[in-house]
Parts: sequence; structure tokens; C-alpha cells
Amino acid sequence: MQAAMNENKSLSPFNRSLVKMRRARAAQNMPQAGFLHQEVAARLLERLDDINRSFDTAFALGWDAAEHPLPAEHAFYADLAANRAQAMPGPAVACDEEVLPIAENSLSLLLSNLSLHWVNDLPGTLIQINRALKPDGFFLAAMLGGETLSDLRRALLDAELAICGGVRPRLSPMAEVRDLGGLLQRAGFAMPVADAETIPVSYADPLALMRDLRAMGETNAVHDRQKTMWRRDVLLEACRLYCDRHSNAEGRILAHFQVLFLTGWAPGPNQPRPKQPGSAKARLADALGTKEMQVKGSRRPD
Amino acid sequence: MTLEKDDIDPKLLEILVCPLTKSTLRYDRANQELISDDAGLAFPIRDGVPIMLVDEARRLDAQE
Repeated sequence: MQAAMNENKSLSPFNRSLVKMRRARAAQNMPQAGFLHQEVAARLLERLDDINRSFDTAFALGWDAAEHPLPAEHAFYADLAANRAQAMPGPAVACDEEVLPIAENSLSLLLSNLSLHWVNDLPGTLIQINRALKPDGFFLAAMLGGETLSDLRRALLDAELAICGGVRPRLSPMAEVRDLGGLLQRAGFAMPVADAETIPVSYADPLALMRDLRAMGETNAVHDRQKTMWRRDVLLEACRLYCDRHSNAEGRILAHFQVLFLTGWAPGPNQPRPKQPGSAKARLADALGTKEMQVKGSRRPD
Repeated sequence: MTLEKDDIDPKLLEILVCPLTKSTLRYDRANQELISDDAGLAFPIRDGVPIMLVDEARRLDAQE
């Protein structure tokens, strides 16, 4: 039984009920602590603006940005925490990104604002999102990436290593931009694109940054995390290291949030598609006005 | 009906399915629940917001 439980944990690094609890608790701190969510919501809408398309049915996961309503005829909002869902600017549901309660072929747009980095089975969630979209439906998501707060992670790691002689799993794993394009493709999205933006934020000191993370509900939700508080001496040493390394002229520290943007389309009839290999009607050499040469050892296609 | 203010958006009702089985849901307006017969679960609706979370759903009795 214990072995089975451990196996289950290794497949699911994140404790979803803890994520839900954190999101619910953080609701009272929004919108003050929600500046990152607001900023990312604005950037998502900006990207949506670039797409010359109107959407009839839109669904947003973890939206939490009352001043940024979705541009759609029917806009629905969702959050893992029921109290957050109830505070949305329109009709909303509480739902788990890992098991989406959305019928196949029902949405023309699905957005996610910083709600996918705590999902255990991201490929499974992406497949469910693809199925929920109508043909030619659009998926646009922002999630925190692996470079997020790398300076803070480094300072905590160095401090713990120096004082305790070892480190414990306190920091959650995050996705890298290079993995996400392939993941979108595997989930069946057409024209998948993944890119990253970095949002710098300045704080009075590292403790203010950590207080903010807690207020946002974005502290570690890994199953096997170290559940006790940081040792005071480790924390102070980490703060000292961080300030030494990253203070600016005004004595404030800089923190960097890496936001990964994912876009993809549900396959549709009139989308551009790559041609079959060998279906070309003209030679590249002619177009370039050069002479075709055979590479030594290669075979010329018939 | 007194529930009108908190009534669930009809278009939203149209696109919601059971999160586990992806089957259609039965809307129990009197008890404000969305019922998945396949999964044997009743999802509560609070203030017009369906709570589609398995750990907050009510397990159906055999006779329901």
C-alpha cells in the first residue's frame, strides 16, 4: 500500500488539493497580490488582439482579472477554487484543469492565465483542451516557466547547502519552453508555438518577495516537499546572498518571472498545411538560379 | 421561481459535461445540482456557479 502510494506520488508531483487550498486562501489578497496575474492577463489579451478573429464561445481557466473581460459573445470563467470562481466577472464554474468538464467541440477559444504550471499531467490536460475546442478553435495559455525566480532558488540552495550541508526538495519543477512546442504537437494542435517573456519585478527585500508569493498562493505544492518552515539562519543567509548579488542602485532587489506563452489551433479544414514530401512542381535550384549538385554519398530522389 | 438571479447560464449548461466520464449531465433545478448518472456523482451549484470538482461532489445512493 505504501509502495503504491509512493508510486502514485512520483507520477503526480503536485498535491492538487493543496494547490486548491492555496488558491482559495489567496482569493482575499487579490487584487493587490494579483499584479502578476493582471499583467499576464493584459498580455494574453494583447496577443489575442493580434489574431483577426471573433470568438463566440470562450472559456478562461484561472482568469482572475476582473478589469480584463474576455472579448467573446459567451465568455465563461473557471478556477480550481470555488471562491475564486464565484468572484469572476461572468458566468463561472469551479473545475480542475486535470479533468475538464467541457463537452467536445464546444469552444472557439480557451485561455489559461497562470493555471497550468501546477498541473500534474500537462499532456493529458492539453489533449482535453484540444477536444473541447471546435475545429479551428484557438488555445492560448500563459504559464510560469523554469527560469522563474531562478535567482531566489539559487540563493536559497546556496544558503541551505552552506549551513545544513545538503538540500531538501522545496522548489517545484517547472516546464521549459523547449519542451512545450513538442507537447502541443503531441496533443494534436495545429501550428503550435511556444515562446517566453520575462517580467522583472522589484522588491524592497527578498522577504517581501516571499510574502508576495504566499499571498498569490504560489508557494510550493510538491507532494514530497519539506513541510517545516525554513530555518531562520538559512533564510537570513539566503536574503544576504540575494541582496549581495542582485541589489540595484536604490537598494531594491530584482526578481524575474519567466512566463511561457503557448498557442495552438484545433485542427480545422482550411488551415495551412505542409505539403507532402516529393510533391514539389518546381526545382529549388531553378528558383535560386543555381546549378543543382549532388552531395557525395547521397542518393538523388527519383 | 425564486432562483432566477442565481440561475445557471443556459449556454454554460450546454457545454458542461461530467469531468470524469465526459457524459451529459442532468440539471436538478430544485436541488441545484448537476447529476452525472455514469459517475454516480451530484455536483453542487452554489450561487449559480457549478462546482465541478470530484472531491466536492455528492455520491449518489443506489436508488437515485
